Amino acid sequence: MNATATGIPLKEPAVSAVAGDTEQLERAYIDASTRVPVLMFYASAMAWLILGTLLAGFVSFKLHEPDLLSNISFLTWGRVRPAHMNVMVYGWASMAGIGTAIWLMARLCRTVLRYPLLLVAGACLWNLGVFLGIGGILLGDSTGYQWLEFPRYAAIILFVAYTLVASWAVLMFRYRRGEQIYITQWYLLGAFLWFPWLYTAGQLMLFAVPVQGVLQTAVGWWYANNLLFLWFGAIALGTAYYMIPKVIGRPVYSYHLATIGFWTYALFSSWTGMQRLIDGPFPAWMITASIAATILTMIPVATVGLNHHMTMQGYFPLMRYSPTLRFTVFGAMSYTVFSVVGLLISLRSVASYVNFTQASVAYSHLGLYAFFTMVIFGSMYYIVPRLVGREWRYASLIKLHFWASAYGIGLMTLMLLVGGFSQGSSMENPTLAFSESVETVLPYLRGRSLAGILLTASHFIFAYHFGLMLLGLGRTSTVPTFLNPVEAETSGGH
Amino acid sequence: MKGLAPLFLGIFGTFAFSWVGLTVIPNWQIGHLNPQSDEEGTDIYPQPQSGMFERGGRVYVANGCVYCHSEQVRPEYAGADIDRGWGNRRSAPRDYIFERQVLLGKMRMGQDLANIGARAPAEQASPSPTGAAAPAGSPAGGTSPAASPAPQGAASAASPVAKQSPSSSPAPQATSPAPAGSPSGATSPGAVAASPAASPGSSPPTAAAPAGPQTGVGAPWPIQTVGEPAMYSAAWHHVHLYSPRSINVDSNMPSYRFLYEKRRVHEQRSADALKLTGADAPPEGWEIVPTYDAKCLVAYMMALNQSHPLKDVRSVSGAPAAPASAASPAPSPAPAK
Repeated sequence: MNATATGIPLKEPAVSAVAGDTEQLERAYIDASTRVPVLMFYASAMAWLILGTLLAGFVSFKLHEPDLLSNISFLTWGRVRPAHMNVMVYGWASMAGIGTAIWLMARLCRTVLRYPLLLVAGACLWNLGVFLGIGGILLGDSTGYQWLEFPRYAAIILFVAYTLVASWAVLMFRYRRGEQIYITQWYLLGAFLWFPWLYTAGQLMLFAVPVQGVLQTAVGWWYANNLLFLWFGAIALGTAYYMIPKVIGRPVYSYHLATIGFWTYALFSSWTGMQRLIDGPFPAWMITASIAATILTMIPVATVGLNHHMTMQGYFPLMRYSPTLRFTVFGAMSYTVFSVVGLLISLRSVASYVNFTQASVAYSHLGLYAFFTMVIFGSMYYIVPRLVGREWRYASLIKLHFWASAYGIGLMTLMLLVGGFSQGSSMENPTLAFSESVETVLPYLRGRSLAGILLTASHFIFAYHFGLMLLGLGRTSTVPTFLNPVEAETSGGH
Repeated sequence: MKGLAPLFLGIFGTFAFSWVGLTVIPNWQIGHLNPQSDEEGTDIYPQPQSGMFERGGRVYVANGCVYCHSEQVRPEYAGADIDRGWGNRRSAPRDYIFERQVLLGKMRMGQDLANIGARAPAEQASPSPTGAAAPAGSPAGGTSPAASPAPQGAASAASPVAKQSPSSSPAPQATSPAPAGSPSGATSPGAVAASPAASPGSSPPTAAAPAGPQTGVGAPWPIQTVGEPAMYSAAWHHVHLYSPRSINVDSNMPSYRFLYEKRRVHEQRSADALKLTGADAPPEGWEIVPTYDAKCLVAYMMALNQSHPLKDVRSVSGAPAAPASAASPAPSPAPAK
């Protein structure tokens, strides 16, 4: 056992020096068993990512060119925008996240993947659900609640698909070998259980037995916010806790920090959400409670960030070589930025400027893209070669992908935050006509469209590269693809 | 950590804590509100909405209006909503109890719509299809002495007339010495104050906001021109939905032409045909008429109205209603509570 000073195995369990070869074989065996389901989820996710990106570009341009194709009902801005959001949330992010989670579960349970048919059926149904949902939204069947826009028929299919995946996860846990449950598994188990509870609670309280009046909005934001934290955030943090130590070949710095980080994350981040309703028609305590919880989320941010940082200490130069590490560390750092921005825009003094502006769009993109998506990109660079038995073909494409994504999301966040703030300042000044506030933000929205072009390029590059891998056109090599040539001996992974 | 049980319990516990705290308890606190009424049980607010309202709400949702328009007025200490004339008091949970789907909104690429119906010209608001606009239970409204002058007053120069009117002591106007110059002037709550008088048999919702093609200097739609439908009237909404930039060149609202139908004129133009000018106008012999969905959408907007006072919320600058009735000689119980 690879134990730390506290006697608790923090690396992936049972990395035994003497049994190195057996370990390698066992892992290869486990990886092979996950090939079909994981690649199904990944390939679907990539298709949705491309579709979602195109929709995003359309939405972004239409916002400052309102006459663009506006006479066709299913291409009106107000339908394409929720279609984009839901493709990204349920098509891309959820499916890619599930793909990564499946692989991590099999690895960490140290058992070959059982019941693959559950997952295959889950992937098919999930795709069907997203497809019907997007169609429904474009045809005017949207429910109008943020991230729950899918009409009921799509939501039910999605839920069935999800049940298959979650029951698989619980079954896998029963087959796990070894007593220890690694920190990544906490997050994954949490995500797998939180999502169905959230989804059920949201659907029930909004559609089956709708709550009265403004509470619908509260439930809607409670759902959307918790989906961001307890589903996407948990998967991304769990993945980062696996990938960073794995790639640099060093255990997580502190078990106790990891424990504190996990439980405070679960406790505090689940109480946020109402700060988005600031100054709205709600009892003040709800909003204040969420603002307080947002402030308290700085505890998990600090502990998780410190833990990752101390783990990486001295190994940062490896980001020069490993694509996985570069994406994952970018994502992990973005978690801190995301949380700090979330804290700032929820403070009452700031919120009166940024409420009802583009700043909230910046916040969502920070969470779902800069944090979650970048971590998942990193994990895909690690996992896909182990499934297809080939290495990534072009280091240059990986570098292009990274920089286009990093600059794209950075520029987008900046544009939306600054634009949102100036939009809000104009809106708060009653001597200016309202249309001034829209005029103010339009240049920033054009800048955002520019950032969107960068992101589009990055996604097409990645999709092409991923397609090459699927077709078996990767490099045949025992050495992983490094971003830059490695002079010295390789250091533990890639 | 060893064993699944504590992990599972912790995961469930944190979720349940949040669920109970942020949805169940609020539901217990404000999830079963009833309309308010005065001592005699009349003047009930809010009132159930019409079927057209419901359907219009669905059209509103289907086309994603909520992604650019909010329907909530923030309190005066947070933001300029009231200064902008988007309402005369903050929104409260009770305002929304009869809406099947509440669309508070999170973005304002467009104006707030919480009181868009209250801003309609008086004569438009009365036949509004909502139940709320025609509460037969406020008997004294029609007898108000100020009944006749108000509509015209609002139409030409809202504030001076409003100041003369005894029922308009509320002074959002007084606090802004040059109402016409401020962007909210045209839709100022002061105009709302005159409303109890303006429309017989109804409560303040029927605001006497600027009627007519008045071109307020700082009005939200600065290029309003003579000859177009009165601002925020149903006809105006239709033209605005059909061709937003014919009303305000700076608007970045998409047009919703797919909610309208182009057809040949039979014998004479339909009453509800859009009065379009310039490039938007249909060719000779054709007309643009709203579909039923468009009519419902406009009916929905015309019924959005939170100008009725609420007991739990203080209306701004001396509450148009309460002081109004106190100062007014009119035996008008309607706005009293």
